[in-house]
Amino acid sequence: MSFNVLIVDDSNSMRAVIKKVISISGFKMDRCVEASNGLEALEALTGNWVDVIISDINMPGMNGFELFERLKNDNLLKDIPVIVITTESSDERMQDAFKLGVKGFIKKPFQPEEIRGILYKVIGVNDEGEYEEDSGDDEAFDF
Amino acid sequence: MKENMKKIAEMTRRSISEVFEKMFYIFLEPSDGENCGYDMEAVIGFEGPVRGEIRMLISRNIVKKMVLNMLNLKEDEVTPHNIEDCSKEAVNMVAGNLFGKLDNSEMFDLSIPTFNTKYSGLSSMENTCIMDFDSDSGTVGVVVTLSDK
Repeated sequence: MSFNVLIVDDSNSMRAVIKKVISISGFKMDRCVEASNGLEALEALTGNWVDVIISDINMPGMNGFELFERLKNDNLLKDIPVIVITTESSDERMQDAFKLGVKGFIKKPFQPEEIRGILYKVIGVNDEGEYEEDSGDDEAFDF
Repeated sequence: MKENMKKIAEMTRRSISEVFEKMFYIFLEPSDGENCGYDMEAVIGFEGPVRGEIRMLISRNIVKKMVLNMLNLKEDEVTPHNIEDCSKEAVNMVAGNLFGKLDNSEMFDLSIPTFNTKYSGLSSMENTCIMDFDSDSGTVGVVVTLSDK
């Protein structure tokens, strides 16, 4: 099974790096959709189904928090797992993100191996990319 | 304040080293401060318990290497756009990493980074720490300035 990924980051370079890292990590990616801020991400989601969203926070236009809020309030989009990939790491800011439904967190700079594990974990599949049985636990992370 | 600047300098040194090793595969060594071969700079502001800015001073050689290593490009594929993009991303990561190391419980707002194709020079001021680094690929410097709130 392979998955569609939406990468949201205002840096072209960082989007390219994330895409490359996902590809070489062994994660089974089918399509990769890109957006440079929250608004573009919402537009992209009107025409593309994705299995997971990887998003930065600090972006011009619509930032990550505004995007997470919009996703949370959208019945069609609220269940898409979101991973934050950002330089910002204060406990308070991360808790705010988790409250808005964010399921995982990767801190820049990151190691390639961090990405595959967290992608599979938030999507709820095992290392072979197959869905695991529902454990009844919605929370991917303790905090 | 002097003690704070000492701590900020040490954490900045660790942050920039970590960012350059992990993202750009460049190993930095602190230098004697006589590097003046900077060609451009990326700047990010921060506001939290203290306010200020971080300027990353970059030589043409090192920024080219950053782009090549980060994006796995060939030399003739490096463009002014990806030089700017990589420089802004680098200063953004150094800032985020620095504040995570200084105090994870404090919240800092970071501005959107800016990029200048000219290096605007250095002036030693109070509440400023200036650090220079050497690498096989060129030189990089960091200036952290705290301002009054």
